[in-house]
Amino acid sequence: MRHIALAGLTALGLALASPAFAQKTLSIGMSAPDIGQVDPHKATTTQDKPMTGWAFNGLVRFKPGSADLGGLEPDLAESWEKSADGLVWTFKLRKGVKFHRDYGEMTADDVVFSLKRAGDSKTSSFSGDYASFANVEAVDPYTVKITLKAPVPSLLGLVANYHGGNIVSKKAVEALGEDFRLKAIGTGPYMVDEYKPKESVTFVANKAYFRGAPKIEKIVYRFIPADAARDLAFQSGEIDVIYGRQDQKWVERAKEMKDTIVDVVRPAELALLHINQSQKPLDDIKVRQAIAYAIDPKQVASFMGALVAEPGRSVVPIGYLGFDDTTKIPCCDPNKSKQLLAEAGFPQGVTIKAVQTNLPSMLSVIQVVQAQLKKGGIDLQLDVVDHQTFHANIRKDLSQVNYYSAARFPVADVYLSQFFHSRATVNTPTAVVNTSHCKVADAEIDAARVEPDPAKQKALWATAQKKIVENLCAVPLHEQLQSWARKSNVDYGYKFDAAMHLGPIVNETTDKK
Amino acid sequence: MIVYIAKRLLFAAPTLLAVLTLVFVLVRIVPGDPALVVLGDQATPQALAELRARMGLDLPIWKQYVVFMGQALTGDFGRSLVSNRPVMTDVLAVLPYTLELTIASLAIGAIFGIPLGVWAARGRDRTPDWIARIVSLVGLSFPAFVSGVLMLIVFAVELKWFPVISKGVALDDPVERLRSLALPALNLGLIMVAYLTRVTRSGMLKALSEDYVRTARAKGMPTQTVIWRHGFRNVLIPIVTVIGLYLSVLIGNSVLTEIVFNRPGLGKLIVGALEKRDYTMLQGLMVVYAFLIVVVNLLTDLAYGLVDPRVKST
Repeated sequence: MRHIALAGLTALGLALASPAFAQKTLSIGMSAPDIGQVDPHKATTTQDKPMTGWAFNGLVRFKPGSADLGGLEPDLAESWEKSADGLVWTFKLRKGVKFHRDYGEMTADDVVFSLKRAGDSKTSSFSGDYASFANVEAVDPYTVKITLKAPVPSLLGLVANYHGGNIVSKKAVEALGEDFRLKAIGTGPYMVDEYKPKESVTFVANKAYFRGAPKIEKIVYRFIPADAARDLAFQSGEIDVIYGRQDQKWVERAKEMKDTIVDVVRPAELALLHINQSQKPLDDIKVRQAIAYAIDPKQVASFMGALVAEPGRSVVPIGYLGFDDTTKIPCCDPNKSKQLLAEAGFPQGVTIKAVQTNLPSMLSVIQVVQAQLKKGGIDLQLDVVDHQTFHANIRKDLSQVNYYSAARFPVADVYLSQFFHSRATVNTPTAVVNTSHCKVADAEIDAARVEPDPAKQKALWATAQKKIVENLCAVPLHEQLQSWARKSNVDYGYKFDAAMHLGPIVNETTDKK
Repeated sequence: MIVYIAKRLLFAAPTLLAVLTLVFVLVRIVPGDPALVVLGDQATPQALAELRARMGLDLPIWKQYVVFMGQALTGDFGRSLVSNRPVMTDVLAVLPYTLELTIASLAIGAIFGIPLGVWAARGRDRTPDWIARIVSLVGLSFPAFVSGVLMLIVFAVELKWFPVISKGVALDDPVERLRSLALPALNLGLIMVAYLTRVTRSGMLKALSEDYVRTARAKGMPTQTVIWRHGFRNVLIPIVTVIGLYLSVLIGNSVLTEIVFNRPGLGKLIVGALEKRDYTMLQGLMVVYAFLIVVVNLLTDLAYGLVDPRVKST
């Protein structure tokens, strides 16, 4: 009887097993329950951004697999020139580039429309980046002129295939209205085919892509929030590419899997411990120094694992244009911490309260920092809350220190302006995420932004970083890399060193053997 | 009978209103800003304020409440703050998946749990009883996400009988749909098997020691008749009660199973909405949950009348 039952179950299982598909499809598993949008001017989340890299182009582009601003290459624009003062930029567009579906040829009108749309806070999450644009105009159908109010650190970066620089179809935005969010029309190698809420988005190859028809016919971008389920779907072969966990154990385990290639890529997220100097006792520089001396970023990074993390070296991420790590950051001397606290009038040590997100990876790291601080006589008490509450509460200035990890556009200006300029101080009308109330480098940050001479600009950014470090607005903790795994038969067609779009670019060169 | 059902549903209206009000207040007390979720952490306060105004979150709370209640009473639960799709469209799109999962796991629970319980009671303190106790202990003590992952490793990754990703397959492909349903239903059904085994066992033990059972035996009635007609019928009331109670729990508990097996469903929707502070979505979901529970309770009461004619349903 038991044998019959077992045989029956086996037969049922075999009968139910499905045939493999014939079409060349790339399945990508993302760690999220759903996406927000494919609209590149609003896509800010880790799950939304990779799609913008498949469906859109900019006037220029980051080389696939690279995050190097110096290596930007022509994309929709074939050539460009700038005026001597750096305020007027003229771009010559590639002719004959077609938008997806029946939205016609891409012309200067679309570029003007897109850049203006990117600069409008009602239609774009990145409007702040375009504040220095005075005008964008179409000189003729294939020439676009951008006039600036003041020089910007990287104009080409603002018209690259990233965030607001992505070119959308004017006709499609006007025709689709609110639906453009999920039916976005660009010029990229893949176009949106079908969106299933909480399940997947499917992209099909844009056979008329100007660099040539893609080799892979279809991309299925699946939302699989549970880490275990994503890994298992990858192991069973249902998924070709998966978003990896940013942790050493995951990378080690994924490397052991059969037919698997793990890519650990930049840009890294820099995690800083911002120190809120508007609150006692942190208004005293000696107490802030004590915190810095108690922390050992090397130990923090090695706790996270050498494959995915390295110690932070400045208050700007490594490799960003303007990064400078020549200022020595006090560290690794708990006795010195105690001595400084005693000098500041706290021989018994101090207690500091922090609002802390419950994201497991961040919670485990802050506990290491907590233990280091303890040795230096600093008692860090954590108010652990869910991630959205954390974001809300640090913006209400409720945290004395703030462990915040972020990647930004790879120019020092963006990081410095958002985290360390007094304009960005939380609880003010122009707030971004300056939770330390830092204001020592405003002049240098502002001057560097409009400085036309690259060497002088770099010097200004270096001074800004020096002042911020010396004032201890924040202590660098670690830089964390991103990780992705793919089946060994997946060839991206380029060297995958960096993911500006927080995921691999799938383009006409990508193939599955 | 129809009057009874109508009355019961009418009584549910105040409950639903109370749930709505409670959810409306609760989601707004929790810190967090849906506008920040949509725009990301680089957004300027100006952009945030503009979005909040478009979402209607800049109004005083009582005004938001009046607007919300006015719409809810006409069956309009608004649009999701995050996806901007109508809330009810999203909820109703996944509701069938949650219902089919719940009903399938209930069926598994009843088909295996009840006979196992009867079998255990008959063989009290002997092998059948021990087997039943171990099965129910395993079912109760394994968290759904552990048993789910174990099942995936064995049946999906190693044996490849079932897919790891239970995608929402259309109704017109019953085989594929069944394949997607099998493991999640088994996973959730295991919990139901455990509960039903326990209740049936203890109910049967009590029933079998009653005088009327002894009398039935004494007058030479066949054992099967004694057990099923005299014993089991008296256990049906607690079984129906437990099914009613745990059906509500199952609907709520399906969330872990839905996440591990990557199935569409209410549970996954609610976790997403909580993470994103999607107020309107949460409100809509809570109403649907509350309504489902009202319906389950009603069905339970009606079932009492069926299994025991002494219970009048008027």
